[in-house]
Amino acid sequence: MNIFKKEETLHEFKWENLGDIKEGRGDLGEEMPVLVYRLMQYTMLDILTKDYGPEKANEYFRRAGFLAGTEFAKNVLDLTVEFDTFVANLQAALQSLKIGILRMEAFDPETGNLVLTVGQDLDCSGLPITNETVCNYDEGFIAGILEAFTGKKYDVNEVDCWANGDRVCRFQGSVAS
Amino acid sequence: MNIESLPEDFHDLGEGLLFFGNALAEVRSFASDLARGELNGKTPGPDNELATGLKSLHATLKHLTWQTKQVANGNYEQHIDFMGEFADAFNLMIDQLRERKAEHEQELAEIQKSTKELERSNSLFETITSQMTEWIVMIDKETGEHLFANHPIEKALTNDIFEAQLYAILLDYAKEMEEDANFLEEEFPLISDTEIQWFSVILYSVKWYGHNAVAAVLHDITHEKEQQQELENVAYKDMLTGTYNRHYGMKLLNGWIDQHKACIICFIDMDRLKYVNDVFGHAEGDKYILTVSELLKQFSSDAVVCRLGGDEYMLLAANKTLEEAEAILERLRDNLASDEYTDESGAITYKRSFSYGVIEVPETNTISSSDLLSQADEKMYEYKKAHKAERRDAPG
Repeated sequence: MNIFKKEETLHEFKWENLGDIKEGRGDLGEEMPVLVYRLMQYTMLDILTKDYGPEKANEYFRRAGFLAGTEFAKNVLDLTVEFDTFVANLQAALQSLKIGILRMEAFDPETGNLVLTVGQDLDCSGLPITNETVCNYDEGFIAGILEAFTGKKYDVNEVDCWANGDRVCRFQGSVAS
Repeated sequence: MNIESLPEDFHDLGEGLLFFGNALAEVRSFASDLARGELNGKTPGPDNELATGLKSLHATLKHLTWQTKQVANGNYEQHIDFMGEFADAFNLMIDQLRERKAEHEQELAEIQKSTKELERSNSLFETITSQMTEWIVMIDKETGEHLFANHPIEKALTNDIFEAQLYAILLDYAKEMEEDANFLEEEFPLISDTEIQWFSVILYSVKWYGHNAVAAVLHDITHEKEQQQELENVAYKDMLTGTYNRHYGMKLLNGWIDQHKACIICFIDMDRLKYVNDVFGHAEGDKYILTVSELLKQFSSDAVVCRLGGDEYMLLAANKTLEEAEAILERLRDNLASDEYTDESGAITYKRSFSYGVIEVPETNTISSSDLLSQADEKMYEYKKAHKAERRDAPG
């Protein structure tokens, strides 16, 4: 029996379990083509859709995005700053990690509701136009970040989406009643 | 266009043309909205590929509107990327605004620091001045305008009429101060019909809010003055008669001599005091002494009467000639000696009188005070000798 093997499992997400990428990929480095990311994303979507149907698959993607957004906010962003500073920091972080170009369009400090766009998105920019909504992961990701920062539950919906090579998606976030 | 009216092979073409026409109309309307700055109108749907460029422009304008609002609210942490020359200009503007804000914040911090220091100094000043028992009064040197008082000045004063007197005196002192004098120290009384209040004051020249002013630190010394007066009474007054004593008289005479002040010196000796003491007792002798003291006080209002001891008096006056003094003393003596004294019970009867000698002290005098007094004493002795017969006829 391998007594050095850890008891815990990778099936339960922990930020630390993302590993030491820099050390682990000493020659290849920390970056990789978006193609590989999407290969994993859309093959997973394929399997989940076949096994559970498109609605359930989208739901799993949204929940995974929410978990990612929450952990990303807790581990990468400063949650103690003012909202405006938080948005500026988030914009810089998403750009730095090449996730997408975040652009805030509106924020109502009274209600907490907001509208933002994500351009050149990691998940969907450049995809062929279909009649499907493909930004479910982003919806969950944004909701997770907002909840981590505000402490309030957010409903985030993609309200507009278009493609011309660099796809831009508009999201509307509202505090869940 | 009615699709059904087309041949079946052209239905798709017709549908396509209709879709294309609607897409064009949608783009035209959307472009018109953007041209008018209307960013909240209906946006073309995702399947309208003709609108993608305009939709990107629309998203950019919406984002810029939000960014600009943030900047207008003083948030200079905004940053725009991937918008070409405009992004460079916007980001440069933000950087400059941030720098200016930092400069202003630094200036503000320095001002706040200075303000805090001033507040501390002012608080210290107010604490000190409010807890001081002295009154600090500031007046304009030229106009007499009342500029500051650390306590309501009327509370310092025991009489309503003193306030006007006080400010008039302070203004006089302020005007007396030389241009380059830093301070002036004085004592002065405020006087009414019924009371006197004494103050000591130190005046400092100060420039204050454009005023050429003096700050006066006032201390009520009425109590000290009264105590001083009591001590002077003990030191300079004769306990029995309330007239001045030898010590005071000689001190005053020496002062007049030093000042070359012309005056007269009267040496007065009571007649038969020893006889009265021996025969009727010292209580009666003291009554006799008091009578003579009161009589001599009538010489003149500015004369100084001093009891030298026992039956001897010295009287100093500055505004009388020798002849005038002798005439007054002779009249007073006549008043005393005209009738034989008898007490209320009628058991005690004796003749009261005094002898005197007067000398004049000119401004040019060089003789010492004790020698002058001896001269007056000799003249008194001559007078006493000359009037010996009168005393012989009298009882005692």
